Amino acid sequence: MSQAIAARMAVKLHRRVCLVMTEDAVLAEELLARKKLAGEVLGRLSERALLIRPGRIEAVLDELIKMGHTPQVIGK
Amino acid sequence: MALDGYSENLRRSVAGAILKPRNPIPLEEVTERILAALANPPVVDRRIAEQSAPGRAALAILGQSRQPIWKVGHLLTMLAALGSTEGFAPIQSLLDAGLLFPVRGFESSPLAGFQLWFGQEPRLNAEVFTLPGIAERAKGDPLGLPNLAISDGPPKSIVPRLADALEWPLRLAAVGQLVADGAMRTTQTRALFKRDLQRLQTHELLAAAPADHIVVLPDIGVLTLFWALGTEQLAVVDGELTLPKVARGPANRPLADELVTLLAALSTLEAWDPLLGYRVIENQLSALPSSAILLLLLLAAAPAGDWCQAAQLAAWLWEHHPAWQNGLTAEAQQQRGTPWVESLLLGVFYPLGIVEVIEREGRLIRLSPFGRSLFAGGAKVPDTPAFLQTLMVQPNAEIIAYRQGLTPTLIARLSRFARWRSLGPACTLELTAEQTYRGLESGLTLAGMVQTLNQHGVRPVHAAVMDLLQRWADKRERITVYSSATLVEFLSPADLDVAISRGMIAVRITDRIGLCADGADPDYKNLRLIGNRDYEAKPTKCIAVDDDGVTLNLDPGQTDLLLEAEIGRLAEPIPSDGNSVRRFRLTPESLRRAAQSGFKLDDLDVWFAARTGAVLPAAGRMFLLGPTAPSSLATKRLVLQVPNPEIADGLMQWPTTKDCIEDRLGPTAFAIEESKLPALREILESLAVKVEFA
Repeated sequence: MSQAIAARMAVKLHRRVCLVMTEDAVLAEELLARKKLAGEVLGRLSERALLIRPGRIEAVLDELIKMGHTPQVIGK
Repeated sequence: MALDGYSENLRRSVAGAILKPRNPIPLEEVTERILAALANPPVVDRRIAEQSAPGRAALAILGQSRQPIWKVGHLLTMLAALGSTEGFAPIQSLLDAGLLFPVRGFESSPLAGFQLWFGQEPRLNAEVFTLPGIAERAKGDPLGLPNLAISDGPPKSIVPRLADALEWPLRLAAVGQLVADGAMRTTQTRALFKRDLQRLQTHELLAAAPADHIVVLPDIGVLTLFWALGTEQLAVVDGELTLPKVARGPANRPLADELVTLLAALSTLEAWDPLLGYRVIENQLSALPSSAILLLLLLAAAPAGDWCQAAQLAAWLWEHHPAWQNGLTAEAQQQRGTPWVESLLLGVFYPLGIVEVIEREGRLIRLSPFGRSLFAGGAKVPDTPAFLQTLMVQPNAEIIAYRQGLTPTLIARLSRFARWRSLGPACTLELTAEQTYRGLESGLTLAGMVQTLNQHGVRPVHAAVMDLLQRWADKRERITVYSSATLVEFLSPADLDVAISRGMIAVRITDRIGLCADGADPDYKNLRLIGNRDYEAKPTKCIAVDDDGVTLNLDPGQTDLLLEAEIGRLAEPIPSDGNSVRRFRLTPESLRRAAQSGFKLDDLDVWFAARTGAVLPAAGRMFLLGPTAPSSLATKRLVLQVPNPEIADGLMQWPTTKDCIEDRLGPTAFAIEESKLPALREILESLAVKVEFA
């Protein structure tokens, strides 16, 4: 039993995270260049992943749509 | 649920009226026994028969209207029109008998009596409801309405005019799309915002009269909006009329069911009038819901095949309806309300397919076969078989929808991904990037949309349209927004690789962090949880500050992604020394950068308080404030050091010595002006305080 537990991979969960994933790094740069969007971005986890301020996802969606994007929204 | 809100005595009283028990019923069984009795048709029939004629009429109206919830005011109005002079008594009797129930909020106090409840509510706006089983049993009770049919009807060879009944379902679909563009806002008095009212009044599709119309309705767009609200195709959220989060009812509904839902929602149409159009009614009752049901019941009272005239129907309402006359315009009053009745019957009910019309020496009106099946016990009208191939998708992404093949199901499905442009004998829709996006966001797939178009199209979707749809769908794949994802952080990149290879993780975010395809929690079967962080909770304390005030030690179990993103903007990472604890250092440069990126001292204090439990350390404050502080001064000064703070405090307080002191430097030290030293020395010696010179 203890061996089975030890065999399981240790992980840390980050729950209820607001995240924007882009198709490529250039698109992420394009989003960060938009002042209103950049203000809602807490950080860039990777080239394509932007961490959004908690509770600000609606504002981000509005801004993305204003920019002419049609983002796929998961977990509405 | 309603019974749960009754006091013990009231529940027992209602149980007594329904069950008529010989022995007392245990309290815990009362609700269950009442519900069982109300599900028993013979018992319900007996209890209905015990009611007075107005009480039975109220239940019959509830059944005929297909609406189980009515405002008490409307019920009392209809009973008065039917000749009742008993006021609230029939409603009270139905409540006492457990055949009606009050609509109440989630009040904590149990309901002790119905008179009390009626007194507390805004009286006529208080609502009651009945159970479907009761309404169904009471529906056939005669209401004593007169036969207003004309004696010399037109020859039977004349084919009456009957609408296809699709106009309102189509308009409701169009108003749903308008609301999806932007919610309709209402003021505190529930009036529409002027700009939103204008949107409805100038909308090219919603403001236009139906293709098959006999009269033109005022503010038809507003009527459509409030009807959509009444049928729960729209919802009120924070004072705004918007699309509900969960779509109403099953997707596959026959047209007859759709029309019954619309009829049932007549009771909610308070803000629209057949002659005046939109009007705000604040805490008053509109005559429309009660008059509309009474008119349908009057038409139902005419023998099958006979015709009525609007003037006769209006005359009956004029004489019997207690509130209808007052709401009429002066012109309508001159004609005893006939224009109002014509507008309602021909403008609202005709497009609904409930009434049919013959235009011969004036207009003659009667219930259609479908209308008689609902209100006069007529035979059920079989569904007209729809033409399956009814759409023509043109290469310019426009769709022509031939009306005879449309069904509520197809209308609902098309509305999700194509924009209604015109409603006529042949309706037109347009495939747009925005509407395709909405369709995909509502859960449709590109394949599903194409399948609908192919299944109902007279020919396969054109390659150019397929290409457009594919491009719009692909565009949606460029950005994915996870509104509430669970990120899984592994201890090493190798662990993440293994998790991905096993299919536990679908998307790689960083070398150690990934997430499942739908952003949900992973399967815990092969995982061991060592940390758990909720990003909508307050940030946790996860940093310990060293005594130097600049070295920050991160607690690996408590850190989160927000910290990772933020701390790099405030401090420099310290290269690892083999110790597992990650460390950062505040430097003048790092804090200058933070200040330049918009961090103020207050922001930093809040951040440090949340993450370390204390405000920005003094060293950090110096780094931040130093550049903006006035110049520091380096001088040589004469310092007097006294042996203890008591003497120092005394020197500061006594005016004689205070004048000689330039500045207090510490608990026992002063700066003295050299010119005043002899005077101070003299004073101190007079006090027997010795002074030595270093």
